[in-house]
Amino acid sequence: MSSALVARSAFNRNVAAALARRSLRPLAVQARGAADSAYVPGGPIYRGTVNDPTPFPPPSKTHGSYHWAFERILSAGLVPLTVASFVTSGTNYPIIDGLLGVSLVMHSHIGFDSILVDYLHPRKFPVLGRALTWVLRATTVGVLVGVYQFNTNDIGLTELVAKVWHA
Amino acid sequence: MLAHRALGLGPALRQAALRPRNVARNPALHNIVAKRSVQTESLPPSAAQEILNKQRLRRPSSPHFTIYQPQLTWLGSIANRVTGAGLSVLLYGYALAYLVAPDTFSSVNVVDFIHGLPEGVKYAGKAILAAPFAFHSWNGLRHLSWDAGKFLTLKGAYSSGYAVLGLTAVSTVGLLLL
Repeated sequence: MSSALVARSAFNRNVAAALARRSLRPLAVQARGAADSAYVPGGPIYRGTVNDPTPFPPPSKTHGSYHWAFERILSAGLVPLTVASFVTSGTNYPIIDGLLGVSLVMHSHIGFDSILVDYLHPRKFPVLGRALTWVLRATTVGVLVGVYQFNTNDIGLTELVAKVWHA
Repeated sequence: MLAHRALGLGPALRQAALRPRNVARNPALHNIVAKRSVQTESLPPSAAQEILNKQRLRRPSSPHFTIYQPQLTWLGSIANRVTGAGLSVLLYGYALAYLVAPDTFSSVNVVDFIHGLPEGVKYAGKAILAAPFAFHSWNGLRHLSWDAGKFLTLKGAYSSGYAVLGLTAVSTVGLLLL
């Protein structure tokens, strides 16, 4: 009986300490990037306790509706752009060729970013997800430079495809 | 606590332990006399969360992706992603290769290399390029029509999906013959 009383008062002390910690926990959770327990693929991710709410990213139109609209407009615009650049030729209309190159690379970047967000979300993979996002951005910059070099010093993307097709 | 509840021996054990008169009369000795037949370790209540999380890490997750029935909806969706990613990897790879080694990967070298391949390989290569491009393009249009609010029923998704497959086949043949 007395052991139960001792346990209960210790429990009360723990609850009080936990409440004090809980008020500061949201800040601590934001500051800490890693999960409280190690993440095992297929396993749970826990930050804080089961009673803490899921953190959501701050609402922002740039990452929300504007990003969505930009992605759709870009995809829709690729259709007439591809047709136009293959009907004309890269040598005669280098601007259309350049536009196609940039649009294709942007479309691919958004696609790769969606793949990363779907399968390696930073919430679940705090280190790998974030690192790969930056690797993707660096790679896209490199690809843009490469496409520019190719379109300037060589025949351009549409000409290359046309030549390869009839090689 | 759970062990002797399950066995139903709790009260009996407690009585046996407390039967010696001096223990029953002296409350201070209640803590010392063993009341349980199972060894337990004393943990503070704050250890509960860690035990729970460790146990949760050991739990298996039931099969989901491996047992889902193949359907046009999700097969078309993953095919859209795979074709897009494949074509993009090709674009990224060539652009980076040209950036790193422009003389090795110049268009003249590429065209010459492909020219030297056997006819069958050339046709196969063109099919491998044309089919994903055609599928991704037509399915992309299907996606954009969903964004405009069309074909958002089950029948609509299936009919547009079959239309995309048919158009892909026709377009691939057309591109190969180009």
